[in-house]
Amino acid sequence: MAEAAAARLPTACYHCGEAIPPGVSLVVDIAGVAQPMCCPGCQAVAAMITGSGLQDFYRSRSAYSERPDAATGEIADEFTIYDDPQLAASFCRQLEDGSSEAHLLLGGITCAACTWLIEHALLQLPGVQLAEVNLQQGRLDLRFDSTAIRLSELFSRLQALGYQPQPWQDSARRQLRQREYRADLRRLGVAGFGMMQVGMFAIALHAGALQGIETGYQGLLRWVSLLVASFVVYYAGGIFFRSAWRHLRAGALVMDLPVALAIGLAWLASAWATLSGGGEVYFDSIVMFTFFLLLGRFAEARLRQRHSPDWAEAEACLPSAVSVLREGEWQSIGRLRLQPGDRLRVKAGQVVAADARVLQGHSAVREESINGEYLPRPVGPGDEVFAGSINVEGVIEIEVLATGADSRLAALRRTTTGAVASKPRLAKLADRIAGGFVAAILLLTSATALYWWQVEPGRALWVSLSVLVIACPCALALATPAALAAAVGGLRRRGILVCGEQAIETLPRCSHLLFDKTGTLTEGRLSIARIQVIGDGNENDILELATALQQWSNHPIAEAFAGRSPEGRNCEWAKQVVGAGMQGSIGGASYRMGSEAFCREWCQQLPPPPGEALYWIALCSRERALGWIGLRDSLRAEAAEVIAAARASGLQLALLTGDSSPAAAELAGRLGIEVAGCGVSAADKLQVVQRIQALGGVVAMVGDGLNDAPVLAAADVSFAVAGAADYTRAQADIVLAARLDGLADCWRSARRCRNIIRQNLLWALGYNLLAIPLAAAGLVPPWAAALGMSASSLLVVMNSLRLYRPGKAS
Amino acid sequence: MDSLYLLIPVALVIVALAIRLLLWAIDNGQYDDLDKEAWRILQQDRQDNPDDGEDRAP
Repeated sequence: MAEAAAARLPTACYHCGEAIPPGVSLVVDIAGVAQPMCCPGCQAVAAMITGSGLQDFYRSRSAYSERPDAATGEIADEFTIYDDPQLAASFCRQLEDGSSEAHLLLGGITCAACTWLIEHALLQLPGVQLAEVNLQQGRLDLRFDSTAIRLSELFSRLQALGYQPQPWQDSARRQLRQREYRADLRRLGVAGFGMMQVGMFAIALHAGALQGIETGYQGLLRWVSLLVASFVVYYAGGIFFRSAWRHLRAGALVMDLPVALAIGLAWLASAWATLSGGGEVYFDSIVMFTFFLLLGRFAEARLRQRHSPDWAEAEACLPSAVSVLREGEWQSIGRLRLQPGDRLRVKAGQVVAADARVLQGHSAVREESINGEYLPRPVGPGDEVFAGSINVEGVIEIEVLATGADSRLAALRRTTTGAVASKPRLAKLADRIAGGFVAAILLLTSATALYWWQVEPGRALWVSLSVLVIACPCALALATPAALAAAVGGLRRRGILVCGEQAIETLPRCSHLLFDKTGTLTEGRLSIARIQVIGDGNENDILELATALQQWSNHPIAEAFAGRSPEGRNCEWAKQVVGAGMQGSIGGASYRMGSEAFCREWCQQLPPPPGEALYWIALCSRERALGWIGLRDSLRAEAAEVIAAARASGLQLALLTGDSSPAAAELAGRLGIEVAGCGVSAADKLQVVQRIQALGGVVAMVGDGLNDAPVLAAADVSFAVAGAADYTRAQADIVLAARLDGLADCWRSARRCRNIIRQNLLWALGYNLLAIPLAAAGLVPPWAAALGMSASSLLVVMNSLRLYRPGKAS
Repeated sequence: MDSLYLLIPVALVIVALAIRLLLWAIDNGQYDDLDKEAWRILQQDRQDNPDDGEDRAP
């Protein structure tokens, strides 16, 4: 499938399937063919895979791999913290024979072929005895000889293959899910075996009814059927009784009630017939009904579980170990053991592990995960830094103020989940409707029973049981959730994470599409837009000097110069001046590059930056100003196409941004969309959204999902466009992995889903309406009712599964 | 036909054993990952015949 997609898009990266940016010509030789790559990260991973002789992976995978971070491929020394025995003890276990056992959680597993790749790549390493990936949970179980290989090497290897490893934390939720899954499977298995046994006896009984059977044998067969069916009803069917009773006590009528009634009554009557030796037994119908009901539910639950973003926990982005001052020494300890008052050291490039105050050192922190700002904020002693921000420039020592659940990151996450959960959910409406439906079924059944009691008391029980089973709205209840779950699963395979399922239902009704910030339409990466030469220099000189200087920098500005060559100009030394810019020496002369104030220290005659709406940085030597370089956040390559498609499908588009610079208006103008608000506060944005909703509009909103969550939560459907690092942290109904094209995919999938839901509902309702009168007339025996009901549910689930396959591009 | 009085209880015992075995396998984690096992059997085959894996009829 991946190969077919690649054939359609000759410019797609062979590894991750993303479009190859212009000017990039990276290739990796895979099975004798030079395959294009989009970035050095993908190239390194692909080379690693083929280098290990595992190129078979590409042949058998069914989905593209995730695009690795740029740093992948180098041995990351951050993993050496896992060699610390104390930290390792939290997820490793020493076995009796001296080997160690470890459980890791892997990010980036996209298909079954990944498990093969991971297992084989790890088993090639000396000392690894066992490597087994659980695809359903994204978990890797390892057994290795800790004297032959270190944990950090295993982590590095996994990262080199393009996966993100982290220690497996056995959370309560995960354990609960595991227990539920196994319990479901146990019930299903017992019901299945029971059905086969009772079915076998039932054939004998039915044959006996036709040909004549001795009472002794009939009694025996009935007694063993009773035995097996009782066990099945108790063990596998118990869940229906418990659920019905629990809801009944809370005053709710749920679908489990008619199910429990049907099973319970049929069992009672059959048991009575067996004991008294008269009447008919329907043990086969009882177990069959139980089995197929459980099967339908199991299939739906599995579909739902398979793609839930399990590891999307806010703290997953924080480092597992930190360097802390204890008893006068710097020690590496687990983050979970941090306490307020601890003194931490954070090196450049590391993530701040807790909310803290800077004690010593100057640096700048990127706070994308807190406020979405991708340019770093300079910090010095006394300033506060927050958990989840990245230290960009120098080493700082900080004093912990709040950790874990008290941190601002956790609070942000709580408010957003609260906002999302408080949305009026269609599910609640569905529950109320189901309640009415169940009440109607019970009334109908009672009426049928009453009628037959008067006409023919002997058949009253069986006819009412048939009605109860036929009318059971199982297919109706499965119609919507099964389709939604399948649509969500299908989208997940294309790298789109759906967190709020209801969004799929709402999407086709949307009338407005708002972009919350310019960042969703742009790359979030600066590029050079214009160069203003001062005096008699030329543009090339300025570019070359700037490139040479920026090669020493790890500030985001340096990204604008990445991929350029300084053409022989060599920077002998350079240093980063925190919060100001770069200073360095090239060819014996000193240069400065950075903010206006920084360069003005050297040359007062520096003219102010040109009036254009760009991000300007100055370049000067000790003697004179050389020029201004204007940087701009470049537009996403796919933005124009997505906007055109959205407009074509009748959506009203608008940009709503907190950015007050003219750049926003200019951007909107380039794309031809309306600017609904410029420089507006979060509260104003909320008002705009609510105003549209008050006029009857249904609003879909695109943001980054990190700091604009309250606005996103107010919209009817929210999208977040997030980079690989923030992918699982972003809070929105639907998270798109770094690309906007997913928007169109979502809409297409949502429309198909709506159609399938309609088909399902039509079928389920039609079937119920047709079959209920037949059953009430006494024309449907209970076994046929049970079979029909189950077949109807399975049909609905199968129909929904069609959504799982990628749709035809329309 | 009297043998039924013996054979049916024997069948029940066998079913009980089979269910016991299934429950043991589930609790042992053997059914925890239904996705991978279905796929792995194909992959193993391909691995043993690296040269003609792709062209072989299924």
